[in-house]
Amino acid sequence: MSRLAAFLAARRNPRAISRGELIAVGILAILVVLVLPFANQQGWISNFAINLWGKYLCYALLAISVDLLWGYTGLLSLGQALFFSLGGYMIGMHLMRMIGDLGQYRQPIPDFLVFLGWTELPTFWKPFSSFPFALAMVLVLPGLLSWVFGYLAFRSRIKGVYFSILTQALTYGAALMFFRNDLLMGGNNGFTDFKFILGFDIREPVTQRGLFVVTAVTLLVVYLLCRWLNGTKFGLVQQAVRDGENRALFSGYATAHFKLFIFIVSALIAAIGGALYVPQVGIINPSEMTPDKSLEAVVWVAVGGRGTLLGPVIGAVGVNALKSWATRAIPDLWILLMGGLFILVVLFLPGGIVSIPGIVRGWFKKKSPASSAPAPAPAAPAPAKT
Amino acid sequence: MPSAILTVEDVNKTYDGFRAISDLHFYLFEGELRTVIGPNGAGKSTFFDLISGRAKPDTGKIEFGSDPLTTIDLTARNEYQINRLGIGRKFQTPSVYTEHTVWDNLVLSLKGPRGVFASLFHRLDSTDRDRLDELLKLIRLDTKRDWLAGLLAHGEKQWLEIGMLLAQQPKLLLVDEPAAGMTDEETHRTGELLLSLAGKHSLIVIEHDMTFVRQIAQNGKVTVLHQGTVLCEGKFDEVQSNPKVREVYLGRGKPTK
Amino acid sequence: MGVFAHAQRRAAGAVPERGHQPPPIGFSPPPRRVGPILALSEAPTVSNTARTVLRLSLSVALLILALTSGLARAADSARATIAEATLADSPAKQRDLISSLAGQADEAIPALLEAWRKDSLFLYAAPEGVAVPVQLVGEKDAAEAQAALRIADGQPLLDAAGAPLRLVGADLTAVEHTSALRRAMKAVLDLRDLGSPDLEKRLRAIQVVGFAQDVEKLPILQQRLATETEPRARTTLREAIALIGLKAPTDAEKLAALAELKTLHTLASADLVKAALRDAETTRHPALLEAARGALRAIESHRSTVNFLGTLFRGASLGSILLIVALGLAITFGLMGVINMAHGEMIAVGAYTTYVVQNIFGNGLALSPFGKFTINLPGLGATGWAYQSYFLVALPLSFLAAAAVGVALERGVIRFLYRRPLESLLATWGVSLVLQQLFRFIFGANNVQVSSPAFLSGNWTINDIIFGWNRVFVIGFAGLIVLGVWLVLTRTSLGLLIRAVMQNRAMASCMGVRTSRVNMLTFGLGSGLAGLAGAFLSQIGNVGPSLGQNYIVDCFMTVVVGGVGNIAGTVLSATGIGFADQSLQQILGNPVLGKILVLVAIILFLQWRPAGLFVTRSRSLD
Repeated sequence: MSRLAAFLAARRNPRAISRGELIAVGILAILVVLVLPFANQQGWISNFAINLWGKYLCYALLAISVDLLWGYTGLLSLGQALFFSLGGYMIGMHLMRMIGDLGQYRQPIPDFLVFLGWTELPTFWKPFSSFPFALAMVLVLPGLLSWVFGYLAFRSRIKGVYFSILTQALTYGAALMFFRNDLLMGGNNGFTDFKFILGFDIREPVTQRGLFVVTAVTLLVVYLLCRWLNGTKFGLVQQAVRDGENRALFSGYATAHFKLFIFIVSALIAAIGGALYVPQVGIINPSEMTPDKSLEAVVWVAVGGRGTLLGPVIGAVGVNALKSWATRAIPDLWILLMGGLFILVVLFLPGGIVSIPGIVRGWFKKKSPASSAPAPAPAAPAPAKT
Repeated sequence: MPSAILTVEDVNKTYDGFRAISDLHFYLFEGELRTVIGPNGAGKSTFFDLISGRAKPDTGKIEFGSDPLTTIDLTARNEYQINRLGIGRKFQTPSVYTEHTVWDNLVLSLKGPRGVFASLFHRLDSTDRDRLDELLKLIRLDTKRDWLAGLLAHGEKQWLEIGMLLAQQPKLLLVDEPAAGMTDEETHRTGELLLSLAGKHSLIVIEHDMTFVRQIAQNGKVTVLHQGTVLCEGKFDEVQSNPKVREVYLGRGKPTK
Repeated sequence: MGVFAHAQRRAAGAVPERGHQPPPIGFSPPPRRVGPILALSEAPTVSNTARTVLRLSLSVALLILALTSGLARAADSARATIAEATLADSPAKQRDLISSLAGQADEAIPALLEAWRKDSLFLYAAPEGVAVPVQLVGEKDAAEAQAALRIADGQPLLDAAGAPLRLVGADLTAVEHTSALRRAMKAVLDLRDLGSPDLEKRLRAIQVVGFAQDVEKLPILQQRLATETEPRARTTLREAIALIGLKAPTDAEKLAALAELKTLHTLASADLVKAALRDAETTRHPALLEAARGALRAIESHRSTVNFLGTLFRGASLGSILLIVALGLAITFGLMGVINMAHGEMIAVGAYTTYVVQNIFGNGLALSPFGKFTINLPGLGATGWAYQSYFLVALPLSFLAAAAVGVALERGVIRFLYRRPLESLLATWGVSLVLQQLFRFIFGANNVQVSSPAFLSGNWTINDIIFGWNRVFVIGFAGLIVLGVWLVLTRTSLGLLIRAVMQNRAMASCMGVRTSRVNMLTFGLGSGLAGLAGAFLSQIGNVGPSLGQNYIVDCFMTVVVGGVGNIAGTVLSATGIGFADQSLQQILGNPVLGKILVLVAIILFLQWRPAGLFVTRSRSLD
């Protein structure tokens, strides 16, 4: 074991976790999983704030799912918002059932169904009264969709920008479908006015705090899972696909299988994020699954730093915190700000925020004339070719 | 006489009306080192594409395996399946994973299961590691094992790719212009390496550099491709003195003395 | 986001139409909206045949007489006749006189008859002791008095001193009207336009009479058929006669009428034929039933032909729209490999340019971007044809404006990203957000109104298929643009440079081509084409900040299906997607479902033919 550790240290493997990141993740994990909920319970942090942060963490999950594909595998998917919303819709269906007959029409079925003239629950709605079933569907439906779409796309070797365009079209088509009332998924308005989750009043601070903790722990688990994945040979192949798919193919790797696997994993992560998002935000509607939403998630990743695991989290939280502030302080200029920020990051900071320490260190190194020996591999992975 | 490990018969391949390969017949025997030469556009790289599954022939058969009972039709398989049969290819332009370290490049190429789930739980054991260390020394990159492959010089990338090919322990090696970008000394060493592989492995080497060809073809045969078909085949000296070959290389209608 | 609400609106009708356009298929006959006069009385039904027959004998003969004689004495002033009628002592004489007006096209008739019905015709007892029929018109003054016009000649009534008289209606006796008289008036009004020299008016009048199915009018129509020479009017007359024949008293006449309708198989007659079929079902008349079914079959088969051809036409026009919007992308994405997510905003730039040009031709435009300062663009105040021609000026300006924005975008952002296509996608998305917000600042968040010039707002109806001029124009326009682009790419030195640079930037650069300049011009060309598309889209849809978003997904799909870097492929795929979209809409009766199916079909198409994606082959590995 010690031999392996020494070996890893000597190799300065760019995929190995750096001490800086380890410390950062540790501090963040403690802060988010323990300190924030405790502070909220003590009343030092408002319920509104904890709810907002819960939302950011869900977005961080979405961002990780984008990054797994884009940063690590070179597949820019514009369909992650779709999987995120599907996860949300699945849990939303359960929450709609939990309203019971407390809706405006005082009927045992969701209000919008009453409005559409239904008197009885449509068959496909029935099993969603069960929480475990809804939870399973959070994974099954996005999993199936990503499997079918990914199978078709990767089999015909669609890649690069074509993959982006197709996933964009997929999202667009799905959104068009969910906008329709006769899909019986709430149409334009989607689902809202939730009352209970697992018997708890969903608007109680205690429930919201609980949801926050669950989200934080999920994010940590997903982070560690991706970290592990990244260290395996699978991670090697994944990045090999990104940098030289044909080479991998001629080395005997069925790259389509690898891409499909990671596509499904990403869809599942996004779906879990969506499932946690809906009870905290209290609404899900088709505008969450537009291509623009996917692109927004890509922005978070780009700003935070793609091809890293901490970057998307930082990007998702940072950009959304900025957005929360800007939409209130400068509502008209906010879109200009976001668009401009985005252009600047793409042009001048391709490594994102997480690359800033490296850049700064680079400046200092340049100033000291000592380093003469050829530098080994740079500590941070160079921005991926796309 | 050992039987043919690779049988190529009646193969035709047309790209947008251009006949890259026409009525090609080619047989490679087990343990043989065959050198393929030919002017630009003779169809050499297309020939490799057809064997390695990058392209499918319009007509003809390409079979792999020395035992006539268990030969495998390569035209029905795709790139990674063909590779798993034990056919490794080194490309004309060095293709390594530029964002991976030299070591990881070799790890990725190491012979072993290639599936998704196998790769999730794959561990290098000590034999693997020893073998990789050995390979690193052989390709003289042991001091640069932690370099990103993208930072290597052109010749070093060539060596790395040869190393990746060897790590796969293939039965058949398709080597496309291995000496390009190497110094004379490196070229010579590459030739010796290829010669040492012959016997245990079967090799097809495409090359332009005639000094290098003379070196590696000292025991084996040379095949001259021209306009997608075999112009002649034989010992290096025979081929060199063949008037047809001289015509092709030096220009049509110019009798040489 | 508002973006999506818009997308939905677009989805509701694949080609957004503005205002009340005619329904896409068939012509909507005007019979059911024939103004208040006609609505007063009901067409007679078969059940009161007896009364009808009675009235036939009385008035129809008179009407025919009146019609023919009315034509004969056209020289007589209609006004004089009406004046005479107001003075007539018996209602019967009044009726006769009014009926004698039938078929005359004098403009005074409807106005006077309407005034009569509304009790604003009066008898003025002149000092000389004779009663002068007058019409009171104009505003009432303080004394409730109005200006008085003599009915006989329409001139003001003068007093002894020669000054115009003003009279108070309440002091005079209004001219009476009985219900029989009102019927006679209506009949006159109905038939008035049958003789109109204006063909369109004549056709409408014939249809009105036909759809009312008033058996009394049959002889008049037959009369007209005998003299009518214009073929369309003849057909319409035959249709009207047959429609009235459906209500004829004898079965033989009904059968003849159905046979005639079967030959004519006009779409408009479908409802009435169906009604006849229902009648035949209730009366269980086998021959009538058979005939009605036959007629309906003929109409339905005609309808499906019309639908089919209409779908083809609309598919072609939708394909042309797709083609126009995608062609620019085929150059920037297909040839240059730049994923320009702001392509849609280039379209919007063109559309807004058209809007500005239109307002400059009209009454000027005041813009107040950022709420602080105001830009006043003076208007030329042009009218008529000078105003209508704004569009011809707007076309080149839209191209130039969008090209300028495109060049700025290329210089400012894209040129740094040629080696990073996915990142150019992201950066241009940022640009798209910024541009959309700028549109909102400058032109407001709401849609702006761009009116179509007259030469784009009409339509041709050929055999029941409506060819909107704007749709015909877009097809021709698309053809011209494709031809133009093809010429530029293949016949000019710029085209040669473009193709060289797109194939191998580095090599072209080594050969001394100023690649950065060529990139700039190519991107400008692609963006300019998007601007042209915008100018056209402003004519058929709304112009708003998110206009471009409606088309961006379609654009990319079109180019991808067509095969990247292949202009001919783009033409083919745009047409194909256009047809598929329209046919699916037709079959499913649901535009959104049709759109989703098209997307699915495209994904499956790429399974079957991924080569559509990879038209370029290279010998290197990546």
